[in-house]
Amino acid sequence: MARILLKFSEHIVSKPIVSEVILELEVPITIVTAQLNSKGGEVLAEVPEETLDKVVEAFRKKGVEVRLPKLIEVDKEKCINCGSCVALCPVEAITLIEDCSIVFNKEKCVGSTCSACVDACPARAIKSVKQNNHEVHSNRP
Amino acid sequence: MEEKALNPQKNTRTVAEINEKIRKGDAQVLTAEEMKRLVESSGVEVAFKEVDVVTTGTFGAMCSSGAIINVGHSDPPIKIDNAWINNVPICHPGAAVDLYIGATAMSETEPFEYGGGHLIEDLVNGEEVELRATAYGTDCYPRTQLKTNLTKDDLNQFYLLNFRNCYQHYNCAVNGRDETIYTYMGKLLPRMKNATYSGAGELNPLMNDPDYETIGIGTRIFLGGGQGYVIGEGTQHEASSQNGTLMVRGDAKKMNTEFLRGASFTRYGTTLYIGLGIPIPILNEGLVKKTAIRDEEIFTNVVDYGVPRRDRPKLAKVSYKELKSGSVTVGDRKIRVSSLSSLKTARSVASTLKAWIDEGEFFLSAPVETLPLDTKFKGMKQTEATAYVANVMQAAVTCKETEEVSAIAKRIVTKSVNHIMVVDDQGRLNGIVTSWDITRALAEGKTVLSDIVTRRVFTAKLDEPLETASKRMAQHHISALPVIDNEQKVLGIVTSEDVSKLLGRS
Ligand code: SF4
Ligand code: SF4
Repeated sequence: MARILLKFSEHIVSKPIVSEVILELEVPITIVTAQLNSKGGEVLAEVPEETLDKVVEAFRKKGVEVRLPKLIEVDKEKCINCGSCVALCPVEAITLIEDCSIVFNKEKCVGSTCSACVDACPARAIKSVKQNNHEVHSNRP
Repeated sequence: MEEKALNPQKNTRTVAEINEKIRKGDAQVLTAEEMKRLVESSGVEVAFKEVDVVTTGTFGAMCSSGAIINVGHSDPPIKIDNAWINNVPICHPGAAVDLYIGATAMSETEPFEYGGGHLIEDLVNGEEVELRATAYGTDCYPRTQLKTNLTKDDLNQFYLLNFRNCYQHYNCAVNGRDETIYTYMGKLLPRMKNATYSGAGELNPLMNDPDYETIGIGTRIFLGGGQGYVIGEGTQHEASSQNGTLMVRGDAKKMNTEFLRGASFTRYGTTLYIGLGIPIPILNEGLVKKTAIRDEEIFTNVVDYGVPRRDRPKLAKVSYKELKSGSVTVGDRKIRVSSLSSLKTARSVASTLKAWIDEGEFFLSAPVETLPLDTKFKGMKQTEATAYVANVMQAAVTCKETEEVSAIAKRIVTKSVNHIMVVDDQGRLNGIVTSWDITRALAEGKTVLSDIVTRRVFTAKLDEPLETASKRMAQHHISALPVIDNEQKVLGIVTSEDVSKLLGRS
């Protein structure tokens, strides 16, 4: 799965663009998080790797700004299991387990759009990394 | 001389007796967590009979740490004046080639990301580091420049020498301000959205012997994965308020990076995480009771680190049990809390120390001198006054949201001010308008005040140091801050003009 960040402007936010793309391309698009109101907003979504290019193109045709957010990775070797990151995570993607080591749930993490934990890690074990080999440049004007 | 077999009736034992058992391989050792469970299930008497040693441990950021190294003499020799290793500035406290690597000294090329703590970790790890030095040159030490690469094997001595480690317990930090702050207690989100704490609670060495009955000068300890010694009380030691600390030393060549790590606190600086464990000999039933202490009996204060003063407001009292549960209650709010120190590694310190004793690799030592129980941690004597917001605050000119733009324009002229605070009927801050906002509104023909009010206002507190208020203005490119109290009521205003008049004076 690849993750895409869709930015909707005030003018298009009320249109059912995500559903349109799903129907037109017949690809499953999973919404991870959405922050939208009448003034526009952002949707973080997941699409199958092999459909990424056409999905991105379809959204752009409809006037949506598309970006490929970086993913968060935790380097287990560097991590000292201090737990500093745990309470900062808004979606509980990082949790402490029984033996007091931390577990990072990549699926839950919303990626570089959040990054709240990154600069709080004293061991610098948390990094944002590019999604594998995809080069989707921002189409922001 | 052979010790006689322990009299079953005897209600004390000595360190020498325990060491004899360790030698024979039949000393009973429990970690502090295991001891608590045993005392709870079987009682003090049984625990005293069964247990000889309780091992404790902690693993956390200990900023007052460092390493003393001796790099040997070069040819021709140099009397080092300034030195850097991997671009980290190094102290030269002694004669020619003794250097002290402070854990918090930061690299000049990578500040905040690499520092003395990382350098000590790299050395312990066997990595090669680059020493650069300069000197003024003397008849006996003619050299003035030096550059060489070293590993720990090239050093004559490499000792961790920490003047304050192992705090008994520490504050729990929150941030009452409107902005995220980065502190030595980590990243603190605005409006108390998270909390941080440090320390291992019931596993903490000093919490298991709070009267320093067995911990003193000469106590052999676990330090950074090797063995070390307590060499005295730490700086700022205040046993009477449970703020005891230790000064320790240990051979860093024998340490390992599982228990010693450099660390970076964003916008605060670098430091060193160290694992420190102390074996508590169970000499009497009193020590059984002391080592049975639980997290629910160890309390600390929730402190507002948003207030940049020495005495920060204490908002609540919480136990380590609450802290370890992941959230604390302050007033009617539940705040998520995370630790800065690692409980996992603290446990690993205690269990490693236990294994060493079990295997006869570590013997206990009785202190040669006890630590002081009556020292006080004084604040600094200051002979120059510090400026606070209260020193330059002026009366604020205010208005109500219902007033017309033209009325405000008049007030700006008659009072000759640039900022007007918009307040509600109780005098609480609702926004701010500047003379610039008014000029523009008049030019654009706007008459309703609420259209031009700035709602997100940066504020200052009366007892805040002027320097931090001034920094906030510079950071947000603004020229004044309303001064408010805890109820958001406007007390006055502080302007950048007044600040520079006062701070620029010296
Ligand atoms: S980036 Fe945000 S969502 Fe992801 S783990 Fe860090 S804090 Fe949680
Ligand atoms: S803050 Fe960094 S070192 Fe600490 S637990 Fe999280 S990832 Fe590990």
